[in-house]
Amino acid sequence: MPRLKVNGLTFHIQQAGEGPDLILIHGLTGDLSIWFLCKAMTELSRSHRVTAFDLRGHGYSDVPPTGYTSRDQAEDVLGLMDAVGARQAKLVGHSFGAVIALHTAVLAPERVEALVLSDPYFPALRHLEDLSRWGHWEAFQKEAADAGVSLSSEHWYDIGKFFNQVMHLDEAKLLQFRQAVGLPGMNRLLRLGTTTAGDDSKVEAGLTLEKILAVRQPILALYGDGSPFLSTAEYLASHLASCRQVLIPNSQHRAPEENPEAFTSALISWVESLAPMEVTR
Amino acid sequence: MTEPEILNDVARILADFQGREYLGTIDRETRFFADLGLASIDAVVLGEMLQDHYGRPLPFGELMGEIGRREDRDLTIGELTAFLSRSL
Repeated sequence: MPRLKVNGLTFHIQQAGEGPDLILIHGLTGDLSIWFLCKAMTELSRSHRVTAFDLRGHGYSDVPPTGYTSRDQAEDVLGLMDAVGARQAKLVGHSFGAVIALHTAVLAPERVEALVLSDPYFPALRHLEDLSRWGHWEAFQKEAADAGVSLSSEHWYDIGKFFNQVMHLDEAKLLQFRQAVGLPGMNRLLRLGTTTAGDDSKVEAGLTLEKILAVRQPILALYGDGSPFLSTAEYLASHLASCRQVLIPNSQHRAPEENPEAFTSALISWVESLAPMEVTR
Repeated sequence: MTEPEILNDVARILADFQGREYLGTIDRETRFFADLGLASIDAVVLGEMLQDHYGRPLPFGELMGEIGRREDRDLTIGELTAFLSRSL
C-alpha cells in the first residue's frame, strides 16, 4: 500500500485520478475510508488528482506520542503536498480535519486554492457552541453503552479524558467494548489514547479568530441540518469573505456517513462551480 | 477465473491479514466486518492487496461506496468474490 515519509513519520495515502490536486482530510478517531464509503474519492477523481491520507495516530499511519494540534497536522498536510508534488490544492476536511484544512490555509495561503469545511467546530469559536449537543460524543457514548460500558458525561467535552476511561476499563468490560467496536477499531482507539491527540484537539494552536477571519479562499461550509455546530456554520457564512453555506438534510455531525449521497453531491457541485475560476487564473 | 479460485485467493490473503481475530474457515458466508472483525480502513487496504495480487486496477471505490449506503455496512466474502469475478 502507498506510504509516504513526511515530517519523519510514515503516512498511509491513497490516490486516484488525474488533474488539479485535491486533498481529503478525515476527522479525529476516523480514517481515510470515510472518503471511499461516501464515494467522494471516486467522484472527485473524475476531475482531480485526489489524495486521501490517514492522519498521524490514525488508520495505517504512524502513531507518534505527541504533535496532534491543528498546526502540527497542517504541517503534515503541507509536507504531504510536497511529497506528492502538489504546489497548490483544494482541501476538503471533515470535523477536526476541516480545522486542519483551515489551519493549512493560514500557514500557507498561496498553496490552498479552496476549502471545504465539513462540520468543524473551532476551539477559537468555542464561545458560540453548546458542546453538550456534540452529536459525535453522544453517538459514541451510546455505542459504548450498548457494549456495556458507561462513559461519564462529566468530561464529555474532553476526548483526552474519554480515552483515559476506555484505557482503564477492566478486562470483562474491555471484552464487551471490543465486541462492539471490533478488535482493530478498539486497538486503534487505545493506541490513539496513548497520545496527546485528545488534549491537542482542544487548543487553538495559533488558529485564532483573527486568523480565521482573514482567510480569503473560496470556502464551502458543509454542515448537517441537525449539526450540533450550526452556530459555527452561521458565523463562518456571515463573517468570512467568500464562504458559502450548504446544509445536508437528515444529518447531524457525520453527514458523509449519515447522508452520503447528499453530502457527496453537494461537495461535487461546489467543486465544479470553481472550475471556471481555475481556468482564468 | 472461477469464483472458487478467487475465494481461495481471498481466503489466503485474509489468513495473513494484520489485526484479524477470526480463526474459523473463511467461506462465502463469512462477513468482513461482523465475523472477521475488520474495519472499513482494512477493506481499503485489502482492496490494494488484491489489486497487487491480480496486477490490475479494480473498481474498489464503487464497491466501498455501495457498502457505505448499506444499512448494515457489511460485506460477505461471497459478495466480494462475485465482485472480483465480474471485474477480473
